[in-house]
Amino acid sequence: MDNVVLQNVRPFVNGIFENPMTVSLVGGKWSREAPPEGTKVIDAKGALALPALFALGLDFQEPVRDDIYTYKDGFNALRRGGFFGGLYESSANPVDGIQKLVAAKDSFANCGFDIRILGAISEGFGGKSLAEMRELVDGGVAGLGDGNKSFGTMRFLRLSLEYGAMTGKRFFFLPYDYSLAHGGYVNEGKFSDKIGMKGVPVQAETIPLYALLSVALWLGVPLHIKQVTSKAALDLIREFRSLHLDVTCDVDIHHLLFSEEDLESLNTNLNLHPPVRTVADKDALWQGLSDGTIQAVSVNHLPVHQEDKTVNFEAAVSGAVSLEIVLPALWNALSHRLGEPRAIEVLSAMPAKIAGANSSKLTLGEDAGLVLFDPSQTTDVSAKTFAGAVENSPFVGTKLQGKILGSYISGFWG
Amino acid sequence: MRSSLSIKHLLGLDGVSENDIRVILDTAVEFRKLLDRPVKKVPSLRGLTIVNLFFENSTRTRTSFELAEKRLSADIVNFASSNSSVQKGETLLDTLRNIEAMKIDVVVVRHKGTGVPKFLADHSGAIVLNAGDGAHEHPTQALLDMFTIEQKLGSLKGKRVAIVGDIRHSRVARSDAWGLTTMGASVTFCGPSTLLPRYREDFPAVTWETDVKKSVAGADAVIALRLQKERMEDSLLPSLREYRNYFGVTEEVLEMASPTALIMHPGPINRGVELDSEVADGEHSVILEQVTNGVAVRMSALYLLSGGRANG
Repeated sequence: MDNVVLQNVRPFVNGIFENPMTVSLVGGKWSREAPPEGTKVIDAKGALALPALFALGLDFQEPVRDDIYTYKDGFNALRRGGFFGGLYESSANPVDGIQKLVAAKDSFANCGFDIRILGAISEGFGGKSLAEMRELVDGGVAGLGDGNKSFGTMRFLRLSLEYGAMTGKRFFFLPYDYSLAHGGYVNEGKFSDKIGMKGVPVQAETIPLYALLSVALWLGVPLHIKQVTSKAALDLIREFRSLHLDVTCDVDIHHLLFSEEDLESLNTNLNLHPPVRTVADKDALWQGLSDGTIQAVSVNHLPVHQEDKTVNFEAAVSGAVSLEIVLPALWNALSHRLGEPRAIEVLSAMPAKIAGANSSKLTLGEDAGLVLFDPSQTTDVSAKTFAGAVENSPFVGTKLQGKILGSYISGFWG
Repeated sequence: MRSSLSIKHLLGLDGVSENDIRVILDTAVEFRKLLDRPVKKVPSLRGLTIVNLFFENSTRTRTSFELAEKRLSADIVNFASSNSSVQKGETLLDTLRNIEAMKIDVVVVRHKGTGVPKFLADHSGAIVLNAGDGAHEHPTQALLDMFTIEQKLGSLKGKRVAIVGDIRHSRVARSDAWGLTTMGASVTFCGPSTLLPRYREDFPAVTWETDVKKSVAGADAVIALRLQKERMEDSLLPSLREYRNYFGVTEEVLEMASPTALIMHPGPINRGVELDSEVADGEHSVILEQVTNGVAVRMSALYLLSGGRANG
C-alpha cells in the first residue's frame, strides 16, 4: 500500500469541492492522522480530488487479442483514468456458464479494482438457447446481457426475460436491429446519403427498443438500455418510465462529443458501434443526461488493433478506447452543463449502482478511492496516453482541457 | 496549353471549383483533337510512372485510363486485386507502401470502399485519381459526361440533365450532380424510391422525381444508369419488368425530352432494362462518343495533375 499526502487539494465532500487543504492517504484510507515519516508529498496546486469513477462497458478483448491488450493493460487504463471499477462484458468469450464465470472472476481476483461481470442470457450469445442464468446469478454476476448481440426472436426475448425474472437481476441490452442496419457503419442521414455510405437508421435503435421496453413492462423485468444514441430512443424510454417500468440507460461519451458532422474527416476512430448520430440527437442526449432520463455515462472501452484502424473507414473495426481520457474529454462540458455534483454522479455513483457496486466516497476514516484532476491543465492525447499497444481513440492528436495528475485506488497511488 | 489546377488530387467533384473543372474540360478539347490524328501520342508524361490500382473489376474505366496514360507516354503498371497480394491478406496500406517503394508518381484507384482514394492521398506522396470509390464519387466519368454535353450542345450553363436509375448506389450520379451544378446546369434525379437517397439536405441543388416522364420533360440530356441485377435479390425492386415499365428510357419517354436531347450511359448497358435498344442505338445516343471522350478527359486530368512532375 502507498501512503500519500496531497497538499492544496480540493476534495469533493458532501456535494461540493472544499477549499484547498491537505489530505493524508494512509493504508488505503483517508486519514487526518499524521502520516508516517518519509511519506510522499504531492502539491496538487488547487487540483480537484473527485471520487474515483466507475466504468460501464469494459471489454479488454481477452483472450482473442491478448497480443495487443491484456487484462493488465486494462487495469493500467483504469488506474490512469481514475476508475475504481467497472462492469465487464466479454464479447470474445461470453460468460454463459459457471465455468466461464469462475475463470473470469479468477482473472480479476486481487486486481485492486471492483470489476463486476455480466452473465449471458443465451448460450454463446446465440439468442437461441437459454444460458444457465440462475447459476450465473448465484455465482455473482451483476446482471444479464448478451453483449451487443440482438435478442433473437420475439418469443426468445419473452422467454429469456420470463425465465430471467426469477433472478431479480437487471437485463442489459443494446437495442440494435442488424437487419435494418444492414451492415451500415454510420448514421443513416444526410451525411451517409451524400457520401453514398451504408447508413444505420435511427429506427434500427427504436424498433427493437420498443420491443424490449414493452416485453420488460409485460413481464416486470428491470432493464438497462446501453448506449442510447437518439432523441427518439430517449422519448420512448421516458414514455415507458411513466408507465412505471424500471428502466435505466446510459450514453457513450463519444455520443456526447461527436455527431455525424464529424465524420467528414473519415477518421476511422469514429467508426463506432452504434454510430454517432445528428447534432440534434447529441443535444437531446445532453438534455437527457441533464434531466435524469439518462442515469450514467458509459465508456465502452474496446481496444482495436491499429492495423484494423489504418484502413479506409468502411473496412475499419469499430470501437474506441476511452478510460484514460474520459475526464479530460468530458469534465469541463459535463460540470458546466450539469453542475459538479451531477457530473460526478453520472460518472461514478450511478454507473456503480447500475452494476450493483458500492460507490466511491471521500469520507474521513473510510477507504479512499479518488482521482486527482486539474481542469486548468491540458492533456495532449497521443498513443502514449493509452495503456497497451492501442491508440484507437478519436481524441488522438487533440489537446483536451484538463489533466489527470494521479489516482489513489485500493491503497495504490499511480 | 498548360494551365494549373488548385487541386492536388482528383478525389471527387464535391468542392472542386468551377475554374478547375473549366480548365480540365478545356484542356480535354485539345486532347480530343489529338485522338483523331493518325499519331495519337504526345510525350507529355514521359518519365512518369502511373499505377492503375483496381480493387474492383472494371474493363471500361481501366482501359480508358490505360489508353490515356499510354497516349501521354507515361510508364504504366496495372494492379488488379483478383491476381494480387490483396487476395493473400495484404492491407491497403502495405499495398500502397510497396507501390511507393517502386517510385510510382501517380495512383489511379478504384475500390468498393468510400474514401479509399482519400486514404491513399493522405498516406502517400503520390498524386491520386479516383476511378470510382463505393457509391461515393467517380469524377472522371462526370467530367466526360460534362465534356460530351458541351461538345454536342455548347455551354453547360442552363442545361437540364435528367439522371435516371439507381441513384442511391451510384457514384456516377453523385459526381455528375456536383460537377453539373457547379457548372451551372440543373439536375433531376429520378428512380424508384428505394433507389433514391432519402436524406437530401446536403446534396447540390438537384430536383427529385419518381416519374420518369416528368424527369425527362424538356431535358437536354438524359443519363440512364446501369441497374445492378442484385437489387432485385435484395428486395429493392420487384422485377426487371416493372423497372423497365416505370423507369426504362424508352422511345416514348424520350419524346418528352428536348428535340436535340442526348442519350447517355456510363456503361455497360442492360439493354431492355434501363435503356431500350432503339434508344441506345438511336440518333440521340452519344454513348460511344462518351467512351472516346473519356480517354481525352482522363488525359487532361492526368496531364494537369501531374504536369509538374513530368518532363513534357
